[in-house]
Amino acid sequence: MPPKDKPPLLLEVTTKGMFAGRTTRKTLSSLHSQLWPSCASIPHYMSALISLRGIRKSFGTSEVLHGIDLDVHSGSHTVIFGPSGSGKSTVLRSMNLLEEPTEGSVVFEGIEYGPGIPGDSTPRGKKIELRRQVGMVFQQFNLFPHLSAIDNIALSVHAVTGKSKDEALERAAQELKNVGLLKWAMNYPAQLSGGQQQRVAIARALSLDPKLMLFDEPTSALDPELVGEVLAVMRKLAETGMTMVVVTHEMGFAKEIGDQCIFMDNGYIADSGGADFFDTCTNKRTKEFIGSVL
Amino acid sequence: MWHLVWDFRAELLRGLLTAFEVAITALILSLFVGLFFALMKMSRFAILRGIASTYVNIFRGIPALVSVVWVYFGWSLLFGYNFTVYQAGVIALTLLYSSFFAEIFRSALEAVHKGQREAGQALGMSRLRIFRSIVMPQALKIAIPNIGSMYIGMIKDTSTFTVIGLAELVFVMQSINAEYFQPFVLFTAAAGLYVAAAFLVDFVFRVIEGGFSYPKVGRVKRFLTRRKRAQIQRLVEAN
Repeated sequence: MPPKDKPPLLLEVTTKGMFAGRTTRKTLSSLHSQLWPSCASIPHYMSALISLRGIRKSFGTSEVLHGIDLDVHSGSHTVIFGPSGSGKSTVLRSMNLLEEPTEGSVVFEGIEYGPGIPGDSTPRGKKIELRRQVGMVFQQFNLFPHLSAIDNIALSVHAVTGKSKDEALERAAQELKNVGLLKWAMNYPAQLSGGQQQRVAIARALSLDPKLMLFDEPTSALDPELVGEVLAVMRKLAETGMTMVVVTHEMGFAKEIGDQCIFMDNGYIADSGGADFFDTCTNKRTKEFIGSVL
Repeated sequence: MWHLVWDFRAELLRGLLTAFEVAITALILSLFVGLFFALMKMSRFAILRGIASTYVNIFRGIPALVSVVWVYFGWSLLFGYNFTVYQAGVIALTLLYSSFFAEIFRSALEAVHKGQREAGQALGMSRLRIFRSIVMPQALKIAIPNIGSMYIGMIKDTSTFTVIGLAELVFVMQSINAEYFQPFVLFTAAAGLYVAAAFLVDFVFRVIEGGFSYPKVGRVKRFLTRRKRAQIQRLVEAN
């Protein structure tokens, strides 16, 4: 059964000392370091790299996500799958705030982003700062068609990190070499196959040294023969220890790299589990879905 | 009678050149004003959208003749400041055509795939950077052919500026006609010159479009990018 909605927990805090008397409401997580000072310095790798707290998203009057809570730990690979319309892409896109949640927050390395729960007044981080540390790969590749492959990457590096154009070109050449496409550096996206375009897109996202990589159905728009080369790049990336969240229909690949598997249905996280999820899940709906795909 | 055209070739070409000058100044101004109104029309605020819509709807409906007469005579009547004939022509054309360009730019900007903007946002680019380096180049590629045909329309609309005394092609032709009474010959010559101008503009815009094509097949763009391409070639060979 999908989990019932829990009311948000907010604590009323009144300031003391010099500016006494001001009352605000804060979430437990934002007060953590003040309530338990000895635990405040626990390094980030012990807590989640990114967590979604109470994410709700509505498009107009229809609610698409009903209170999603998700933790992704550094170095882990999370796989999200489920039937279409279950909201899995929306969950992924709210991780880098491409979809502004109606309610709820995204906590990345301790800083909260997003609208939060109404009544909560913790300071929020800027969207652009979050996006510069999180890379995303799209189903439709979204390469810039008016730039060559190497320019796609060099423009991102130059525009976001402020490196000089020459340094950016060198970095771009390096990234292309990593995905095996250096020979095609001067080709335009229209002159590349789908698999090559997606690999350039992955190189472009990686060129900014993100701490987290999001993949939104990266192979769904590809011919079956081209899927393999993109999965190979993703497998190589997983082996280097990059934190990845992948929404995919490739169940074989999910089984291979998934440390945390999430099954979504109708805007809820219907089931979740660890690396052995595909073999040991008990939920009837999950087994139905996996059975029909694998 | 055709010798008339040859005898007065200098004056006729001078008239065509004046028409070109007025049109090109108006073109450059209209591009900026048109882009400004296009962005206003796409803004989040309803007031800005309303202002831009009103402007566009008013000036798309006014003919060039009415516009130029109003600017030249009306402005000095209302505000006392006299524009020169040249200035009035440029202003009238700009007012008219910026509304067309606003619509052209708006549809071109909206035609750029939404995923392009999302890719820029996901990479962490600022809004201005996304507009400047990703959205605008693609929108320009869509808009350029339309701008070219609008420019030809602008050159033809300068013909109505005879009424305020601008010494462009039709004015020159009418003054020759007043002396020699050969309207057929002179009108044919004028028409021929306008058609030649249209062919020339078409050719120039085709070269410009080549500069926006991807991959860069235009000779102009290949020339401009040779240093960069050599640099990339060296990088590829080094690795």
